[in-house]
Amino acid sequence: MKGSLSVRNIVIAGVLGAVAILLGVTRLGYIPVPTAAGNATIMHIPAIIGGIMQGPVVGAIVGIIFGVSSFLNATVPLFKDPLVAILPRLFIGVIAWLVYVGIRRKSEYLAIGTAAFLGTLTNTVLVLTMAVVRGYMGAEVAWTVAITSGIPEAIVGTIVTLAVVLAWKQIGKGKKSKISEDL
Amino acid sequence: MASEFDLSRNITIGQYVPTGSFIHRLDPRIKLLVFTILVLAIALNTSYLGNALGLLLSIYLFWASKIPISYGLSGIKPAIPFIIILAVLQLIFQGNVFSGGKVFFEYGFILITSESIRLVIVSAVRFVEIILLSSVLTLSTSTTDLTHAIQSLLSPLKKVKFPVHEISLIITIAIRFVPTFAIEMEKMMKAQASRGADFGSGEWWRIIQRTKDMLPIIIPLFNIALSRAEDLILAMESRCYTPGNDRSSYSVYKAIGRDYIVLMIGLLFSALLLFYHFPY
Repeated sequence: MKGSLSVRNIVIAGVLGAVAILLGVTRLGYIPVPTAAGNATIMHIPAIIGGIMQGPVVGAIVGIIFGVSSFLNATVPLFKDPLVAILPRLFIGVIAWLVYVGIRRKSEYLAIGTAAFLGTLTNTVLVLTMAVVRGYMGAEVAWTVAITSGIPEAIVGTIVTLAVVLAWKQIGKGKKSKISEDL
Repeated sequence: MASEFDLSRNITIGQYVPTGSFIHRLDPRIKLLVFTILVLAIALNTSYLGNALGLLLSIYLFWASKIPISYGLSGIKPAIPFIIILAVLQLIFQGNVFSGGKVFFEYGFILITSESIRLVIVSAVRFVEIILLSSVLTLSTSTTDLTHAIQSLLSPLKKVKFPVHEISLIITIAIRFVPTFAIEMEKMMKAQASRGADFGSGEWWRIIQRTKDMLPIIIPLFNIALSRAEDLILAMESRCYTPGNDRSSYSVYKAIGRDYIVLMIGLLFSALLLFYHFPY
């Protein structure tokens, strides 16, 4: 692992982790929808952005921070199970990174958008799969949740991620630290 | 009106109240260890008396650390609706799982027994205890101390090349920035509200509207976060911070007599909660 975490990776993982915690603590990260799950979440977006910007390790670390904070804040018994709350969140950033790297050559916009869309679906699908596997809900309920809250979540996730990453790439041009390239 | 945007007031994480009390001066490693064991013991205890003892202990700790208990209570306030919802759900649906004891009420699948009432009361009190205990820990220990403690408790993992130092630095940065971003977010919400924006007051079924209301807050939040990250990266690199190096620390912790006494008391108390069979 030595060398895989640069100063940039450490700081960005920490800051995005802070955003993930904040979205969870202030309840701003939840958009109430009329489904069994009750909420569509946007708390996974920091993990996707971390994955796109800094690679799979940062994506996975932000995912863990998100998972632990959702585990600690959980009020639904479903998320008091670490296997449901933490484990699936590891993969959000990793999948987003894989998709982004795969499509990046064709179009930057398409790559970020698709990565965000599939990253969100990863969260929805894996969490619901774990919920069914661990016996918290039946498969039909899981399908309903996937369609009614997963699709809006994915759309919101795509819009927010595109806006943030594109804006950041503009800011980054002038201010990006030169030292990290030299090291 | 403005009070609904007071985000930072509800966040007790990462806020340090220096009163210099006995609790503040304890070795942070011991504090973290005792805290973890106590939370585990409280989480596993299902008796009334045991949880009453736990509640007394957490209130005593506030008194001993000279921190006004209102800090702890402000952490509980936002959790109250969820505690109530959880209690109602448990009362209705858990009767069959925690049957036993006297049956008070039975209708269809609803079964209320003395055991399920015990579950409801105990889990609500336990929630309060854990919130109070974790607020004492974070209010009486600076984030630097806390991270050093995490790092030193995780350090056996260094043997398997796990980047202990880096991970603990990430955790510090994350915890450190939560209140900062909360203040920034408050400013943005007030600014947006003053130009007539509306947050989350739309009807709950209008998903798209409510999402659109969020965008002017969330996108600048990320941008502020990332530009702060750039500043921090530059600051760290210009001070020649190199990840993965062996480094020594300015303050070296050395547990002394009273730390071991606290550790012993904490262990005994946890053992009491875990193994003693409380009559009530």
